[in-house]
Amino acid sequence: MTFTRRLFQTLAGATFGCAACAAQAHFQMLYVEDTAPQRGDKLEFALVFTHPFSGGPTLVMDKPRAFSQVSAHGSKTIDLRQYLRPVQWQSRDNQATAYRASIPRELMRSLGDHIFVLEPEPYLEAEEGLYIQQFTKLIVNVGGVPGDWTEPQGLPVEIQPLSKPYANWTGGVFRAVVLADGKPVPFAEVEIEYLNHAVDIEQNSFGQAAYVTAPQASFNAQSTYADAQGIVTLGLPRAGWWGIAALDIGATKTHKGKPLSQDAVLWVQARDMVPGKDSGIAH
Amino acid sequence: MKPLGPTRLILMTAALSCCQAAFAHGPVFDCYLEHDDQVKCEAGYTDGSSAVGRKIRVQDARNKLLLEGSIGADNTYTFQAPAGDYTVLFLGGDNHDATIQSADISR
Repeated sequence: MTFTRRLFQTLAGATFGCAACAAQAHFQMLYVEDTAPQRGDKLEFALVFTHPFSGGPTLVMDKPRAFSQVSAHGSKTIDLRQYLRPVQWQSRDNQATAYRASIPRELMRSLGDHIFVLEPEPYLEAEEGLYIQQFTKLIVNVGGVPGDWTEPQGLPVEIQPLSKPYANWTGGVFRAVVLADGKPVPFAEVEIEYLNHAVDIEQNSFGQAAYVTAPQASFNAQSTYADAQGIVTLGLPRAGWWGIAALDIGATKTHKGKPLSQDAVLWVQARDMVPGKDSGIAH
Repeated sequence: MKPLGPTRLILMTAALSCCQAAFAHGPVFDCYLEHDDQVKCEAGYTDGSSAVGRKIRVQDARNKLLLEGSIGADNTYTFQAPAGDYTVLFLGGDNHDATIQSADISR
């Protein structure tokens, strides 16, 4: 994280009166309930710019510049902006404009990987005079037929998965490459944050209760670096959603005359290993 | 968790019914209705291998063969929906067959 952003987040934590907020990261969420459905069905999205570990505060989103789907057969990119609608997202401490999208079943019926890409409008941290733009990817697989989940999408910045983002057991290891203009970014600064609150997508809200309590603020958003090949490796110690953000790796460094941090975000869903009924293992 | 419908069970069974060693090669099969009552079926395997050329059979409620065809280059097979109830069988090879009932085929 750049010093400027770290300083701002510290100030933001102080502003919201929450010492634990000081070390949390801004994360562009691209949320669905299930990234590995057995059968394609309509898909409800929530697009929320927030602090997922603490369930807020949520930041106001402008209408995204792009929201698209690369279909399971990889042959076409579908513009999904027509499905976007603004909502007021209720997080723990505040309410702010976010977006929802209802993707019809017709676009989700095909077996295989459906790759969703969000390019938000840069967000202005007004107090600091700094813009943040997080290019965010989410991959949904229908039926279990693998597809192009590991293919880069040609974004200015992105995280290229080396493991299927939709097929991870709790306790597993996830690997990915941080890319800028399609090239690995050695030693990229990466933050990892757990979505620590339930999502009530119909009510456009986070649940009030946190799943886990961090022993100290530095646990809220874990910091690490990619290696010399740009590869980042993380563990998935708990079922649910894990956000991975590579910070300030874009070539475009200014927006409207102010500093711009172009970040790459990928969301990964981890599942518990649940014993089968006939396994003989106590549930 | 929602209860699994018959189609989901079929798909799961298809994916899980093969032996453990063959988990990397389970069949996946689904069909849906497109315009003009055209039924489009997709087939594949969990290891990403191709189903191109594999046979598809469409049978009526008495197992009478109505149609037979092959999975095309795009891993699909499309046919005109027959009148009445019917079953679509994907002959995936090596006991990798999968079945879907017309009642589970929708838009």
